[in-house]
Amino acid sequence: MTLLLPTPTRRAFLTSAAAFGASAVLSVSVNRTARAAPGKTPSAIAFDGNALIVGGAGFIRRDDGGVSTPLPGPKSGSILSLATHNDRAGRIVAGLSNGGVALSEDGGQSWEARSQGLPEAPVVAVAAASSNPETLYVSVHGDGLWKSEDAGRSWVFAMDRPWLADAERDLTALASVDLATGMGGIWLYAGTGLGLTRVPDCFCRWQDVQPGDAMDALVSGAAPAPEAPLPTGEPIHALVSAASVPMRLYAALPSGVWASADAGVVWVQRSSFRTDAVAVHPNNADQVVALTEDGLIQTRDGGLSWTPLANN
Amino acid sequence: MKRMMLLLSAVAFSGLTAIAAQGQSQSTGTQAEDLTVLGYPVTDEQITLGRQVYAQNCASCHGAELQGQPNWRRRLENGRMPAPPHDESGHTWHHSDQDLFDITKLGVGGVVAGYESDMPAFEDILSDEEIAAVLAFIKSTWPERQRESQARVTAKAGGGA
Repeated sequence: MTLLLPTPTRRAFLTSAAAFGASAVLSVSVNRTARAAPGKTPSAIAFDGNALIVGGAGFIRRDDGGVSTPLPGPKSGSILSLATHNDRAGRIVAGLSNGGVALSEDGGQSWEARSQGLPEAPVVAVAAASSNPETLYVSVHGDGLWKSEDAGRSWVFAMDRPWLADAERDLTALASVDLATGMGGIWLYAGTGLGLTRVPDCFCRWQDVQPGDAMDALVSGAAPAPEAPLPTGEPIHALVSAASVPMRLYAALPSGVWASADAGVVWVQRSSFRTDAVAVHPNNADQVVALTEDGLIQTRDGGLSWTPLANN
Repeated sequence: MKRMMLLLSAVAFSGLTAIAAQGQSQSTGTQAEDLTVLGYPVTDEQITLGRQVYAQNCASCHGAELQGQPNWRRRLENGRMPAPPHDESGHTWHHSDQDLFDITKLGVGGVVAGYESDMPAFEDILSDEEIAAVLAFIKSTWPERQRESQARVTAKAGGGA
């Protein structure tokens, strides 16, 4: 397995993160096309309660008053992906560039490795199960989907990567969506380099997103064409489901932030900035922060309008 | 149309199964621990038949102990998935009776358009009663938690518990 993800420097991260505080001039007419190398700038964002956390070569915690506090971050690698759960305040799960997972129980003040059993390859996506904060999922680059039912103390292989366009495709984003599959569980949505897919959390089959539950998909025999899918062939950099309104999804794409109000059947473009990560507030589905080349931008109206995230 | 055909087929089959099950219950007076298939009681004779049919038609891929093929979560070179286990370690118990019946009879590709699988359709190999018997046998091996969960999935799908 070839690892192509560069290792960033902590100084580069802090410099870049400081730029988030600057009032970047935003122009919605500009469609960014270049993506920063993974890790050289912050790579992942998430909400921990009202605080926004930013991960990359370092780790920054930004409280709801706008004050940013740099914290040490995991020692074993830069952060590629982050996950939190509204029922576990202060618990942060980080997928690392050097492989494995680090977990903090104190909002990022301290970290411990939770990588027992995982392959040594970058963890490009991580998610906490909406229905159970002890259950975690990670996407291991070049390998597949792994699952832990004890907050990362042990891991088991859950499922191979989806087979799309005659090849296995890495999972680039994960989101646990608290909607019933009709098979006794909930959905795990995933992004790939080619678009969106999902699997029931019994892990029987990757399948396209369509209206209804997995039973409908089985019985109907054919998935109806989605009314407004995400752009065909565009990679998904990040994917989140609003804890307060699980059907509300946001996706970070090269073409911008896209939103869905019906669990991924119909998507609407909500920004035209190249976006590498996205986070939604756990208690307010309209409050979203996106990581763009120019820094962090936020919306409080579900993406109708965006402003730079000011720093203090 | 396809859905309607499936449902009509299922209704017809369910009727046959009910008659058969009632006949067996009356003749033998046995019932397999309140287990049902497609909404009708399972008999010990049905489980015995299912065990035989499974051994002859299913075990070569899904395992004599229902354990599935080795490394069944890893995709094969041809892009297809290995045969999963049918015991409690697999995902069979997450599917309703009707789905399991349809998948067995029509093949996975018969109910999921475009899905490529090494599993054949058994409609020309096994009778509906034999398929139901195999499901009865498989279900009889599950622990209580899996039985209850699968019964809820089946009930929610409108198939009766």
